[in-house]
Amino acid sequence: MSAEKLLQGDTDRGTRPANRIPLARLLRRTALHLVLATVSLAMVLPFLWMIITSLKTDPDLASYPPNLLPQVWDWDNYSEALEYAPFGTYFKNSLLISFGHTAFNLVLASTAGYALARVPFRGRTLVFMVVLATMMIPTYTKIVPQYLIAKGIPFFGGNDYLGQGGHGWLDSWWGLIVPGALTPFAIFLFRQFYLSLPRELEEAARIDGMGEFGIYARVMTPLVKPAIATVGLLTFESSWNNFLWPLIITSDTNLRVIQVGLSTFQQADQNAWAYLMAGTTLATIPMVVLFLFTQRYFVQGFARSGIK
Amino acid sequence: MRSYPSSLSRRSLLGLGAAAVASTALTACGGAAPGESGGGSASLRLLTPIFDRADGQELLASLLEDFKKDNPGVSVQVDHTEYGKLNEKLTTSIVGGQPYDVMLMGVGWVPPFAEKGVLADLGATEAELARMYNPRVIQPGIYDGKVYARPILLDTRMGIYRKDILAEAGIEAPPQDLTELREMAKELTIRRNGELIRAGVDILSNDLRQTYLPVMWAHGADLFDGGNPVFDSDEAVDALQWMVDIIRTDKIEDYGFTQQGAVAAPLVQGRAAMMVGHNDMWRQISESAPELIAEDKVAGFMLNQQRPALFQGGTLATMSAETSHPEQAKKLVEFLSGEKVSPLAAEQRGNIPAVLSAADSPYVQNNKLVSFAVDNLDHAFSEGGVPTWLEIREEFKPALENALLGDATPAEALNGLARKAETIIAEGP
Repeated sequence: MSAEKLLQGDTDRGTRPANRIPLARLLRRTALHLVLATVSLAMVLPFLWMIITSLKTDPDLASYPPNLLPQVWDWDNYSEALEYAPFGTYFKNSLLISFGHTAFNLVLASTAGYALARVPFRGRTLVFMVVLATMMIPTYTKIVPQYLIAKGIPFFGGNDYLGQGGHGWLDSWWGLIVPGALTPFAIFLFRQFYLSLPRELEEAARIDGMGEFGIYARVMTPLVKPAIATVGLLTFESSWNNFLWPLIITSDTNLRVIQVGLSTFQQADQNAWAYLMAGTTLATIPMVVLFLFTQRYFVQGFARSGIK
Repeated sequence: MRSYPSSLSRRSLLGLGAAAVASTALTACGGAAPGESGGGSASLRLLTPIFDRADGQELLASLLEDFKKDNPGVSVQVDHTEYGKLNEKLTTSIVGGQPYDVMLMGVGWVPPFAEKGVLADLGATEAELARMYNPRVIQPGIYDGKVYARPILLDTRMGIYRKDILAEAGIEAPPQDLTELREMAKELTIRRNGELIRAGVDILSNDLRQTYLPVMWAHGADLFDGGNPVFDSDEAVDALQWMVDIIRTDKIEDYGFTQQGAVAAPLVQGRAAMMVGHNDMWRQISESAPELIAEDKVAGFMLNQQRPALFQGGTLATMSAETSHPEQAKKLVEFLSGEKVSPLAAEQRGNIPAVLSAADSPYVQNNKLVSFAVDNLDHAFSEGGVPTWLEIREEFKPALENALLGDATPAEALNGLARKAETIIAEGP
């Protein structure tokens, strides 16, 4: 074999894989993007349909086959939906409660998670198991006991030191915020994150004379930002969407939340679909905005804690 | 549409409620018993699933101002909720030892709560109430011979038809009985290449149980006899067979063609010629297809076979057995179910006023389905009758679906349902 042929052969051997790999990669990428685009569209479609429905008139909604786009873009649905119930108050209340829950949960759950991950103490595993076990209790079964506890809080709402004689935390901001201020899932998530941090960091800080709280607050916690974003977003979302507890514990309309407001569009006999979709669109906005700001950390949070 | 909690949850909650009532009764020794408290000032708590939306809340607030003028010193704190979560609100308040003084609830709810001692006997007689309400309307508030509730408004399920579609087929009058309805519906059904274009009759837009029951009553069957389930009688089986024939034998409507809570009922869209529906369909039509009302194309008809039957639901006013202000609470119950409030509450929700005096009101006369119901209240039947009805009723839909889907014969479905009901009754509330 001549040197030229050898060279040619070398070139062939060298270029053939070089040509094949980009083509295969291109095909794989195209297929992947097609799948992702389809899945994304499937995810976005209900939201788009919600927004489109919120802009339709009643006759348009009733038409069959349904029109893809509104025949008349009825923006008044939004202002009329807001007149259905005191949504300004509901929106403000939901924001306050959601931010309250998020702030409390971040502080309390991160300290608890840190203790369970990094501070050795007797019965630590048992405590962690108990925390995990509480995640398995259905919400419905907790409603009545939680209601009784809220009603029996001493010195609140006219109660005496035995928690009797008044209504405790019923119909109050305390009752709305405190029962949801700490979640076992958040403790679990923080624990997993703190466990993943190198022990050397903690030891170095200890050698430098830093106290336990300093290690938690100044060394370890700044390294678990994805956990903070994940817990913050999930807590806010859960609190924002909470319906049953705020409905049960309050009787004063001034303490009701956005989800209770949305339920006014759904009655036993009929649904006000256009208004319901308009109200739901508005109620979705805070969650979407929050996710846009935290999505990078949020994805990391799930990836690093091994949760799908 | 509305989602109800599972029967297990409801059952658990009711069970807890019953326990709490018992403990409340024990710990309440020394408290004022109903009937002992005198008049004067009082702060009453009212729980209501009606007067919903901002306009309803405003209406109730203005009506309560009138009540306060007539009852100086009495204030009313209103707790607005929805029917889907009414049971949870009631139960937690009872368990918490803070029952509402006045509670508005639905037909079928009175026996369970009266049986548990939650409700107070209002001390009225049927004869006394019959001067104000149709005798059929009073029945859901009576348990064990005592009046525990007074009606505020009613809602009904009836036959509804499109005059224009029937006229196109040369049919001048709605069906006189269910046999004729079936034949007429076969004629009015349109299929194109196997696809259902128009159902002769739509029996799926309404809650399945609330469709079946008036058909069952029309066949001459009943729910209970002496507290025992009899909804597996031959007549009841015939009623379910009629529904199965509509879906499976005659293919008049396909299962899945529509569903309860759909954005628009097929009748409104011209995709059904007749339906078993709620009187509130009038409001849906007036909003979605007002021309049908303007051109007088919609009317009601009676479901009739062995006897004419109209399904009657509604909202009733009750008083807590534990209220510290029984005299004022009773006055509030009478006010809410009275001749002033009842018509306004009904109009706000598009329903039927319970009081006889509202029969000639412009609202009733202008709403043809409401006026049809008012004219036929003598044929109204109500569900319930046993203290465990709230649990039993949750079992109806799966049983009816089994029959409609062909997984069980009507007799098998209803026999199984009756046996389940017997078990629930034996276990008690």
